[in-house]
Amino acid sequence: MPDFTDRLRPKQPDGPEILALERVDSDIVVEELAHHLLGQNGFLERQTRILPIIQKEPLFDKTQQQNLSRPKRFKLALARAKQLRRLSDQHGWSLEEYKLAEYLVDDVSPYMLQMEMFATTIEEQGTDAQRALWMPRIKSWQVIGAYAQTELGHGSNVRGLELEARWDRGNREFVLHSPTLTSSKWWNGTLGRTANHAVVMAQLLLPRPDSPDQFVSHGPQPFVIQVRDMTTHQPLDGIVIGDIGPKYGYATMDNAYMLFDSFRIPHSALLSRYAKVDPLTCHFSRHAMPAVVYGSLTAVRSRIVQHARLVLARAVTVAVRYTAIRRQFRDRDAPDTAPELSVLDYPTVQIRILPLLATTYALHYVGQTMQATYERTRSEIKSGSFASLANMHSMSSGLKSLCTMLVADGIEVCRRAMGGHGYGGGSGLIQLNNDYLSKPTVEGDNWMITQQTASYLIKKMSAAVAAVDDPPTDAMDGQYKLFLQGRAMGAPYRIFHEDYDLVRSFQRRATVLAHNAYIEREVKKRSWNSMMIQLHKLSRAQSQSILVSTFFDALNSENNLSLSEPLRRTLWDLFRLFALTTMEADSYDFLASKAASGAQLDTLPGRIQELMGRIRPHAVSLVDAWMIPDFLLDSALGRYDGRVYEDLFNRAHRQNPLNRMTVNPNYWEDEIVKGGDDMKNIRAKL
Amino acid sequence: MSPPDWVKALKPAGQPGSELLAQERSQSNVDVDKLAELLHTRAALERQDRLLALMKNDKIFDKSQNHTLGRTERIQRALAKGKRLQQLSVQHNWNYDDFYAANDLLGEPTPYGLHASMFMVTLREQCTPEQKKAFLERAEKYEIIGCYAQTELGHGSNVRGLETRAVWNQDDKTFTIHSPSLTASKWWIGSLGRTANHAVVMAQLYINGKNYGPHPFLVQIRDMETHQPLENVYVGDIGPKFGYNTMDNGFLLFNNVKIPHFNMLARFSRIDKDTGKYMRPALPALVYGTMVWVRSNIVLQAGSVLARGVTIAVRYCSVRKQFQDRDATGSVGENQVLNYKMVQIRLLPLLATMYALHFTGRGMMTLYEENQKRMMGAAQAGPDELRAGAELLADLHATSCGLKALASTTAGEGLEVCRRAMGGHGYSQYSGVGHWYADYLPNLTWEGDNYMLTQQVARYLLKSARSVLAGQAANNDTCRILKNYLSRRNKGASFDVLEQDKDIVDAFAWRASHLTFEALKHRDVEKRSWNSLLVEFWRLSTAHSQYLVVKNFYDAVNSPQLSASLGPETTATLHKLFRLYALHTLEREAAEFFSSSAVTTRQISLAQTTAVSKLLDDIRPHAVSLVDSWKFDDWQLDSSLGRYDGDVYPDLFRRASQENPVNDLVFDPYPWNANVLKNSPKSSKL
Repeated sequence: MPDFTDRLRPKQPDGPEILALERVDSDIVVEELAHHLLGQNGFLERQTRILPIIQKEPLFDKTQQQNLSRPKRFKLALARAKQLRRLSDQHGWSLEEYKLAEYLVDDVSPYMLQMEMFATTIEEQGTDAQRALWMPRIKSWQVIGAYAQTELGHGSNVRGLELEARWDRGNREFVLHSPTLTSSKWWNGTLGRTANHAVVMAQLLLPRPDSPDQFVSHGPQPFVIQVRDMTTHQPLDGIVIGDIGPKYGYATMDNAYMLFDSFRIPHSALLSRYAKVDPLTCHFSRHAMPAVVYGSLTAVRSRIVQHARLVLARAVTVAVRYTAIRRQFRDRDAPDTAPELSVLDYPTVQIRILPLLATTYALHYVGQTMQATYERTRSEIKSGSFASLANMHSMSSGLKSLCTMLVADGIEVCRRAMGGHGYGGGSGLIQLNNDYLSKPTVEGDNWMITQQTASYLIKKMSAAVAAVDDPPTDAMDGQYKLFLQGRAMGAPYRIFHEDYDLVRSFQRRATVLAHNAYIEREVKKRSWNSMMIQLHKLSRAQSQSILVSTFFDALNSENNLSLSEPLRRTLWDLFRLFALTTMEADSYDFLASKAASGAQLDTLPGRIQELMGRIRPHAVSLVDAWMIPDFLLDSALGRYDGRVYEDLFNRAHRQNPLNRMTVNPNYWEDEIVKGGDDMKNIRAKL
Repeated sequence: MSPPDWVKALKPAGQPGSELLAQERSQSNVDVDKLAELLHTRAALERQDRLLALMKNDKIFDKSQNHTLGRTERIQRALAKGKRLQQLSVQHNWNYDDFYAANDLLGEPTPYGLHASMFMVTLREQCTPEQKKAFLERAEKYEIIGCYAQTELGHGSNVRGLETRAVWNQDDKTFTIHSPSLTASKWWIGSLGRTANHAVVMAQLYINGKNYGPHPFLVQIRDMETHQPLENVYVGDIGPKFGYNTMDNGFLLFNNVKIPHFNMLARFSRIDKDTGKYMRPALPALVYGTMVWVRSNIVLQAGSVLARGVTIAVRYCSVRKQFQDRDATGSVGENQVLNYKMVQIRLLPLLATMYALHFTGRGMMTLYEENQKRMMGAAQAGPDELRAGAELLADLHATSCGLKALASTTAGEGLEVCRRAMGGHGYSQYSGVGHWYADYLPNLTWEGDNYMLTQQVARYLLKSARSVLAGQAANNDTCRILKNYLSRRNKGASFDVLEQDKDIVDAFAWRASHLTFEALKHRDVEKRSWNSLLVEFWRLSTAHSQYLVVKNFYDAVNSPQLSASLGPETTATLHKLFRLYALHTLEREAAEFFSSSAVTTRQISLAQTTAVSKLLDDIRPHAVSLVDSWKFDDWQLDSSLGRYDGDVYPDLFRRASQENPVNDLVFDPYPWNANVLKNSPKSSKL
């Protein structure tokens, strides 16, 4: 319906004009940087090819999804996921291509666990016969599976799981049974409404050879079972399954509860590559999982980090573009006639966004390094040597924790830096925030898993102390020994002049914290619980040190030397900004561990501001290079063309179903919507 | 659909939550009821019981579907709730406090929200007596329903930059209200989108082409019968948001709409009808009174907002058990999560913070009320009283800005910390924290972005410092601490922060004063630009606000009334909360305390390793009692995890299996079948 608002234009200069100027003002060649970041493995090429296919499919249109009820949102997600699979068949997509399409659609897919944990577990823990039986049906999606591990009463502590799989000697079957309410499976994705099969983790209970009426637990083991009828899709008799209800995010995922009432499953359900029960003797045998399994965990975590960088890049892209366009207040020192300042020119906005921009790059290089380490050492593992992998594996807990936290918090910092409009649906950061906030607590709670890293570091320090004069066994051992021999003296590092000294300063601080923890635990024998806060800090310090050193190494690598001079200069500035702002956030730690001097810390804010001033003109180009398509951003504020206000107005005015409803505002009248529901109808629906 | 009998028969494993919480309650000597009375007053607690009895049993206030409905249905129900509240209000003759408390118990904004707050407050403060008769009296009866339309699409914090115009027409004695551009559209205005029929519109006043700045006008925007927008008014809801989706935040555009002279709210500035002459406000500062009122309220609320999250998290972490203590010998069973130091360090300082904010909010409200009295009296009194009033207003304005920023940021971020500390289950909406956080978040950016506000504090502190140096200090607390700092600057400080509570307050004052004079040097001596100092100003404001919180908290716990009404044990525990808040803050800001020489590195490291840890141990046994004292009703919390009786798991299960409409959907999961649902093919259409 045309009206007088159609003629209105935003105040000048408008978004497109401002962004055009921003882009001209930077000497960074966006294509060069984009290729540097995303050229490997053909990511950029895939995105370019698949985006038009996704964009023209009406089912993937995102305009109404924020308004839908959960059941409707969920149905939409299933329809989309089906369509994705059909497109995949139609275009003959590889797994990577399919994943990219899914990334662009940006729903957490109801089939997610089918593609990941379900298939992976059977592949890794099934015998050859089990693989042969299941994998073809999984690949064709006749079998749709979930992975059911966590329970209502137990998450991180896998050994505490309560669901029982009791061996029935007479029938040579297992009996799955939920003895309590807390033994209900809980949170298991894809299972609530979608899956017809599941890998279920249950305590394996076998009769004692000497007294067959008594059962002994052999710990949680994986079983693959059918849970729903293949025709009616109803749960099988003796199984209760459902969706666990609304969550902070993940609206499109049917996280489940599931209970068993003495449900019988065949002997062949136990995934038996490493754990076997002899059906005749009911003897249990187990082989240790090979190192390659730990290797794949590192690979999973490196993928989490690589995914994290693109998530943060999305938030930073929106924030940089919008705050460049948004004008608010005149500079206080400027004459009255001066135009209002771009919000991104305020240091209080820069200090929130630009370090996060630098963080996207830090995450990029650490993710690459993790992946490269995994690939390089795969052959070593096969020949039985996996020292560097063991190191990377231990470090990967701390890195997963730190990186996902940086991103989860970073999205929210970006959102808030945009002021009021950041809160609106047009920011494009709402679902991103809601969905991503699951990350700090899933796949290992971010606080819990830092204990693994800290525990490893204390062990390394103990080993270094025990053999302080022996030649170093690896880089970290060498670093620790240098410290123990008193040859690494601590400050002054020339952190403002030598980039490598930043690396040394971070290493110094991490080493001192590791040594302190070693003294407390191994020498003073303090309790583990009383040290937890310190252990968390240690893991964080070590992970930050890794981020700084991998960033440094990447910029020093040959690959990087071929980049153009303006690009290299700015990448080094980003490195410095990342390191110095990280240092500033924990500056007291650096001082106390003699990793920086008091005088240096006093200089830090000024130096950071100077770096931000140098990076500011390139901010728009530096986010452009992440090449996040508008379709994925789904953001009025972050549009590539800068038409912020037109888009906000369009969404409010033309796409908002609320505006098709006229309410009756008089409290003394029960009518709610003119000609629609009244209070009696609403009560009746409850 | 009710679950089968074998499911109904299941109980949670291990010690029931009710037992664990009973244990927690019996081990603490905190007098919960007396503390509750001190926090809320007996009258408020009785009011809560009275209101709950009315609301809990009225189906219209049902909360069970809040998280699953689509936005359109959700806001209709919210309007029904709002109507019912107003009906009850009339029926039971509620006063303002009753009405406010009832809304708080409901726990979500209703579409009447801004009518009941900002609209009526503005009319009350800015109307002449004749205007009050014409507008306010009708507004109080809800005969006219209004909103407060200040922010625009292109401008938020900067009120002077507003684009909407009100041009005075001398010939027919009217104003023409007009939106010259798209960015002039009013935006974010609560209760405007679908509900209001009137609006207080802030518009740039023009007389004879000259701009006199933004002024308030009352404009009718919808027809009183049809509720359709009037001609040349374009109004609607701005669409889905992060939270606050039960509120119709709106947009509003005017196409040369004429309103009578009478509709300019004229208590402070007005136009002479005959001459067209602009009359200057007698007390320009009072125009900002509404803002100060809103900010005071935000600080007061912040404590309770946070307390809700902490109540849920502390109870849940007392019921939840996970892992055995690593140092425990033999099988002692799993440990309550709240016993882990890494959980305590996240939750217990927040427990202290909610008390700190509460007492600070109280202090501020008193200051505000004193100021109102003084200013009201000042109109008749002489210039001396007027100046004293203005001095207090300056102090209040700075205080309200800085504390609003600190309090709302602390409360908002604290809620997310609570949510994450609960691990996986915290991500469920049944935790009761996620949506509460999402609804609260706009407080961090509205009524002035928290970062923007800090400039006003800094400006005030610099001005005070200059007056102290010039020997013209005002008689207030800010000048007192600055003078004190100057007098001891060259002797140095030696605060015994680990032993003496008073010294902690002095150390916070010292640090804030030190930063003030540092900033003054940068601005006045080194002549650095205002813009380049913004980050420093933000830190300064934070430091000063933290000082105020510490001081208010200290004053409250040391007041004779407090110990008289609570008895020695409870008072002693509150002293520990004070110390925990102060030392934990000191430790986090260690670098500033060190570099201002307020404390030594030795003191900081003792605070880190010993003092804070000891306080956590001391407070831990009282944690449940300290949240119980806040007296949240289960119906208000609407949380499975935070239930008073600790029946966490049965409640989670009940909601998931019986209140969750997703479980009514039977999926067809196979991509090659077009239907999404098996049970109702028609509704599978999207």
